Amino acid sequence: MNKERDYRTDVKPVWCPGCGGFALLNALTARALPNLGIPRHQTLIVSGIGCSSRIPGYIDTYGFNSLHGRAVVIAQGAKLANPELTVIAIGGDGDFFSIGAGHLPHAVRRNVNVTCIMLNNFVYALTKGQTSPTTPYLQRGEGPFLSMQFYPPVDPILDMVSYSVSTRASFIAQGIATDVPHLASLIEEAIKHKGFSFISVLTPCVTFEPPEFFKTIKERASYLKEGEPVGLPDSFAEKPWVHDSSNITLALKLAQTPVLEKPHIGVIFRGKGR
Amino acid sequence: MVLGNLLQRLAASQGYFGQMPRFYGPQIRGGASGVKLSLDTTRASVPDDAADIMLCFNWEKYDELKQELPLVGTSVVFYDNAPPEGCLNLPAKSFQVGFSEISKEVMGTAASKNIVALGLVERILALPEDLVKSATPHDQTSALLERNRPAYDAGRRVLPEIRFGELRLSPPRDSSPKTVLHGNAAAAQGAMRAGCRTFFGYPITPASEIMEEMQESLNHGKGVFVQAEDEIAAIGMAVGASLTGAKSMTATTGPGLDLMTEMIGLASGAEIPVVIVDVARCGPATGIPSKSEQSDINQAIYGGHGDAPRVVLAAYNVEGCYRLSIESFNISEYYQTPVILLSDQLLGQTTVATDSGFLKRDYAIAERKRPGGERHEQYQRYEVTQDYVSPMALAGDEGLMYQTTGLVHDEKGRPAFDFATHQRMEDKRWQKLAPLRDKDELVKVFGNQRSDRGIVTFGSSAEFILGTVEDLGLQDEVKVCIPELIYPLSGRVTAFVNSLRRLLVVEMNYSGQFYHYLRSQIDLPSDTRSYARAGALPFARKELSGPIADLAG
Repeated sequence: MNKERDYRTDVKPVWCPGCGGFALLNALTARALPNLGIPRHQTLIVSGIGCSSRIPGYIDTYGFNSLHGRAVVIAQGAKLANPELTVIAIGGDGDFFSIGAGHLPHAVRRNVNVTCIMLNNFVYALTKGQTSPTTPYLQRGEGPFLSMQFYPPVDPILDMVSYSVSTRASFIAQGIATDVPHLASLIEEAIKHKGFSFISVLTPCVTFEPPEFFKTIKERASYLKEGEPVGLPDSFAEKPWVHDSSNITLALKLAQTPVLEKPHIGVIFRGKGR
Repeated sequence: MVLGNLLQRLAASQGYFGQMPRFYGPQIRGGASGVKLSLDTTRASVPDDAADIMLCFNWEKYDELKQELPLVGTSVVFYDNAPPEGCLNLPAKSFQVGFSEISKEVMGTAASKNIVALGLVERILALPEDLVKSATPHDQTSALLERNRPAYDAGRRVLPEIRFGELRLSPPRDSSPKTVLHGNAAAAQGAMRAGCRTFFGYPITPASEIMEEMQESLNHGKGVFVQAEDEIAAIGMAVGASLTGAKSMTATTGPGLDLMTEMIGLASGAEIPVVIVDVARCGPATGIPSKSEQSDINQAIYGGHGDAPRVVLAAYNVEGCYRLSIESFNISEYYQTPVILLSDQLLGQTTVATDSGFLKRDYAIAERKRPGGERHEQYQRYEVTQDYVSPMALAGDEGLMYQTTGLVHDEKGRPAFDFATHQRMEDKRWQKLAPLRDKDELVKVFGNQRSDRGIVTFGSSAEFILGTVEDLGLQDEVKVCIPELIYPLSGRVTAFVNSLRRLLVVEMNYSGQFYHYLRSQIDLPSDTRSYARAGALPFARKELSGPIADLAG
């Protein structure tokens, strides 16, 4: 069995102290990959460009830090050519939901057995704090003003979880960088799922966000447990919505809850694999 | 087009060579379309400028294609309906044959008018009567003809009714059936021959046939075929597949090549083999999708930011589309570099009836250099070796894991930010391609070697040049050099140019991209001329005669 240290290269991460990238790195190398016992040489991690996309350099499997937005296509090509490989595509919110957004619905409909992990820090951090498609749309002075940019975002967000549900990705989950064991369990399930799987990881950006922003998300995080009531505005004690990850209607309701109101953490939807 | 296809296939089954460029416009269906078919007894020559025999079903649509299908006084014309008053001077030997009427009479529909015409032409050319029977059983051609037998027979009966005799073709050099295929099919078949089993494409005229052919070949579990969501995804998947060791390919034309440019840079920098076929068409932007031009030279050689060496090949005939497709894989795999194989609409879509020898020959197949078993601990993905080619582990190989990146990286593939590493790795990527400059076999030279007048041309222009030089009887005065390896340029091209006092560079693009490229690589003679013009019309021999005669004069 491989140990965590076997999965790490000796390259020092470029991330800021406290970055969610460390959480994902830990979840993969200390838990998910060793727990699954996937041989390192049978694993390929493809990333795009962004803070989180530096991760392949830190994991001693096969790794490719490729182009902005294109990790998911390179990952599919590799998986199709060598189905023995476990292929993981990693990127940020800008990567997967701005420049590379056009590739996702096609990855979903092809349902190639690739695990796509999006580290959502709600901001373009590598380029020093510009708004991303997930930067919450808030009036100036209203709520926790996100981003150190002088100008707040002018467009509403593109919600990646709703998007994945609406395109019927066959496995959709949301994790949070402050809970590594849980995140690792989601990654394990996603890798075991036979089909395209998508995990959104809520992540702080310690450099370009005010601390209150992620603090709010963390406080309001609501864990989904199969068969237990979920926190939805129309879920009442006498007639609660009970979590059922095979229910796409419920999945859509969960996904459409604004992340600053109630971030749902867990497996949101699990459909048919291949 | 149906008529041309049938006639070419039937003539080929009798041993006739020939080429048949296709001409069509922008309509989705029902638009103007035409072909120009040459039948030749000894080799697949490009058709003459004007037709000996012309069949016209619709004069209004002919009007859209008259630049490609000019009539001359000696042309013999058979047409369905009379041309609109005063719009056209028909040659003396023009005959109205009611193809549609006859088809309606015998088949109940005008749809078989082209089969009526086929019967007539075969009779005129005195092709054997049992031609239809000689078509191989199960062949679609023979099934189509069998269904339309009455129309075919009626067409054969037309000849005695018009005042025109048989022309009687010379017999072919040998009666062995000729293979009919176009450059796009040849490129796809070459890829299969090279061992390509993963293809990723996106539909685009005039390259789609490569994708369709690969789909056919790779179906039923014989490989991986994906019609991607766009060209970026197509080449991205090909690059991903290549990481696992698969010989991967995509095919496109100008606009698609533009979209692939960033990924070509990545494949160059991270040294990942991938083959891209560019079947060029008129540009820029959407240009004229259905018509040929050789204007992607700059994009192929230089496209992209940064210093991103790649290899560019250009086929000039259908055999080359096949052979160079194999060569593209060989170079790409061996040198771990993206290879762009240039073709164009004329090469890609012209069906050629020719000897199938090149499909059956033996070809050397190169494989990727892989790490040996003994030095796993020290494996360095980008080790600077003597020939600058680093053994490449494939994703899945035990004990050889590496992480690579589009960032400047060191020998281990790890990100680097310093001048020395950047310089060293650039040096490696450029130097590794240097041996290609000695690939003399990828430069074709014709004519009298002692002559000091020469032409350098490439791609589909080349056969028009060779044909015109021959027509003018100038083989002794003018020699011709056709580089198939465009980038890096072979030393043989330099030697050719250095032997000249007068040089003519011929290409089909407005700005003379190839001429400027040659100028950047070789000290050209002071008496160098460039013949470059926009595409959308194949070169005519008459057109090329002037510049070639001037060169010789």
